[in-house]
Amino acid sequence: MREVILLTAALLACTAGMGWLALAMERHWTQVHEGEATAAQVLRMRALGTLGLAAGLSLCLAADHASMAVLVWVMALAASALAVALTLTWRPSWMRVLTCFAG
Amino acid sequence: MFQSFRHAATWVHTWFGLVLGFVLVVVFFFGSLSVFDREIDRWAIPESRFEPQPMPSFDKVLRPVFDTMQPMKESVDAMRGKVDGPMPERFDTVRSWSAYTTHRDPVLLLWASYEVPGAQDPHDRVWGNRTIDPRSGKVFPDDQLKIGSQFFYPLHYGLTLEWQDLGAWIVGFAGLVMLVALISGVVMHRKLFREYFTFRPTRNIQRSVLDLHNMTGVLALPFHFFFAFTGLLIFAGHYFPVTHTQLEPLHELHEKIEEQQTGLPQDRAGVPAPLASVDAMVAEARRRWTAKGMAGEVGLVSANHVGDVNGYVSVWRAGTDRIANVSDGIHFKASTGEVLYEEPPLTAVGSVGNFLIGLHLQHFRHWLLRWFYVLGGLMGTVCLATGLIFFVEKRKKQHAKAGGQSRRVVDALAVSTITGMLVATMSILVANRLLPEALPSGWPPRGDMERYVFWGGWALAMIHAFVRSAPVAMDRLNPAWHEQCWAVAIMAVAAMLLNWITTGDHLLRTIGAGYWPVAGVDLSLLVTAGLAVLSARRLGRKALAAMPVPRGGTAHA
Amino acid sequence: MRTNAFNRGEHVALAARILLAVLGGYACCWGVVALFAAATFALGAEFHDGETLGSILALLLYPAAFLWAFAARRLWLAGTVLVGSGALMAGTASLIQSVLT
Repeated sequence: MREVILLTAALLACTAGMGWLALAMERHWTQVHEGEATAAQVLRMRALGTLGLAAGLSLCLAADHASMAVLVWVMALAASALAVALTLTWRPSWMRVLTCFAG
Repeated sequence: MFQSFRHAATWVHTWFGLVLGFVLVVVFFFGSLSVFDREIDRWAIPESRFEPQPMPSFDKVLRPVFDTMQPMKESVDAMRGKVDGPMPERFDTVRSWSAYTTHRDPVLLLWASYEVPGAQDPHDRVWGNRTIDPRSGKVFPDDQLKIGSQFFYPLHYGLTLEWQDLGAWIVGFAGLVMLVALISGVVMHRKLFREYFTFRPTRNIQRSVLDLHNMTGVLALPFHFFFAFTGLLIFAGHYFPVTHTQLEPLHELHEKIEEQQTGLPQDRAGVPAPLASVDAMVAEARRRWTAKGMAGEVGLVSANHVGDVNGYVSVWRAGTDRIANVSDGIHFKASTGEVLYEEPPLTAVGSVGNFLIGLHLQHFRHWLLRWFYVLGGLMGTVCLATGLIFFVEKRKKQHAKAGGQSRRVVDALAVSTITGMLVATMSILVANRLLPEALPSGWPPRGDMERYVFWGGWALAMIHAFVRSAPVAMDRLNPAWHEQCWAVAIMAVAAMLLNWITTGDHLLRTIGAGYWPVAGVDLSLLVTAGLAVLSARRLGRKALAAMPVPRGGTAHA
Repeated sequence: MRTNAFNRGEHVALAARILLAVLGGYACCWGVVALFAAATFALGAEFHDGETLGSILALLLYPAAFLWAFAARRLWLAGTVLVGSGALMAGTASLIQSVLT
């Protein structure tokens, strides 16, 4: 059960992280938010994105031993990037929640 | 020859991608299915639908079965040309008896190899195998094809084309081209980071297909590279048989030295000796693993040179909890049970090699990672399929005017490879449930019948694709696409219903009982049907709406 | 980039590049595997480790060599390097073998 919770959290962290990294790109920011992002907002999105992915890695490492955890994380990155890309294509408004952190 | 590296990369990616793409779609798709090969076996062989079992007692359960085994007819037939003198009726000189199990195996596979008297190559063997219920030792009929592990899986790495290993070589070359295509694809994709999350399905067909191709390729790029690479590494000894040809003398020298160092004899002594209690040896192996802080299950047990004083038994630990396959082998003298040799810790290169191979073969217990592998494999399949489709779409407009028929051929081949492959997959599952348990005598074995239905279904799909391909020459969609999607949807649902009707294991029951192998296959069939219906409807609308499109125009549906 | 843009002479050159990529690349990789297997064994390491290391390097090298066969300005140079190095490495491996056995 502990593993399930940790891995679910890892997936959520990676998805949020990928989402933030996507929003740091102008073409995706404008899909979700009015107007352009300021330089500070872009920086914040990138930082949050990196943190999200790093948090995902830590959670994976907490769930399994190192060699397996890194593998799970790499695959989670692919899965979460795919989820973000498809969300941006079909339901960009769902990404709005992440922009709240943009400040 | 080419104006720049990018041009060269583009040409190679396009043309080698086109030719080998057909093979790679098959390799990736059946590779994805192979992640759950044993679960598909459970669906296909209802008598095996029970919980995974640990390795049973060798002495009480396995030995009696081994004692009655003989090599398979196919194996003996394959040896006929390579023997001086007559082929014996019975084979009693056992080279090895082996049993292998993982945390996903309810039934146990046993196999045996026998020495061949008079063989031109003394290393040649004949092989036999049995599948048993480890709880009772009951032997399963030979006739039942394990559709997952004995069909989809070999299809994945060798196209089941065994003549001169041609299939394995084709897949190997395709694997190399995959690596080349990944590298050249990155070189070609100028906006790799800018378009990382970009998918525009509402733009024209070429743009949306290319977006999907790039997305499924780039987002899972490490996966695609690693799987192609490790797949090739697994068969490296096969593709580069250096140590059995050019360096054979060196290899022999190494084996002699190893024989002395480990005390594990290469050959029989010719002096009979009994086989002591293997259970005691297994218990000792487990004791030693626990003492090293690596308590674990037995993955592989192998008795070599059975009945001879040089016999030895090898016990290997299952790689359930780590990436590496099996490891920590301990070898015992067969006649006495004393420990002859304990495998030392792996060298750095050995560990890396084991890790890379274990990464591909995935015998570890980690359900999320397993499903991630399926996702990666399906993304790869979509990447390859969209590559083929993009090739056709890009050239359709250009050549519709010129009246070329070659685009029709490529499009029909694309339909055959993509939806045709799915039609074949559904066909074998439906046939598995429809064929009677006991076929009338004179008919081929049930497993062979299932295989014929698979290939026959695929052939029919291909014929259908070609027959319906006329619209492609007029820059329209081949109706075979959506027609085959409907066929896939109907057959997927049929397979699921037939499972219910013939075994009583419907979804509510299997989910309720938590028997996920069968529930998983049924659910996957449902999802497949759903996606096939969505695709069929979308493609059907496009085909209907595809009246002459303005040149360079946008999507119609 | 369309093949009907190639003339007859270029078709021959293209065929040569394809052969070089596939066979020349293979020859170079064979050499790598052979050299690593023989050399690491000669240096006292595990025989199969040498084969494994050689295989890993060869499989990384093959796609690079493959692309180079098409991208190289001078085909003769790529050909000489790939086939030549393969032969050289394989020859060295056989030399090592004859010394040891």
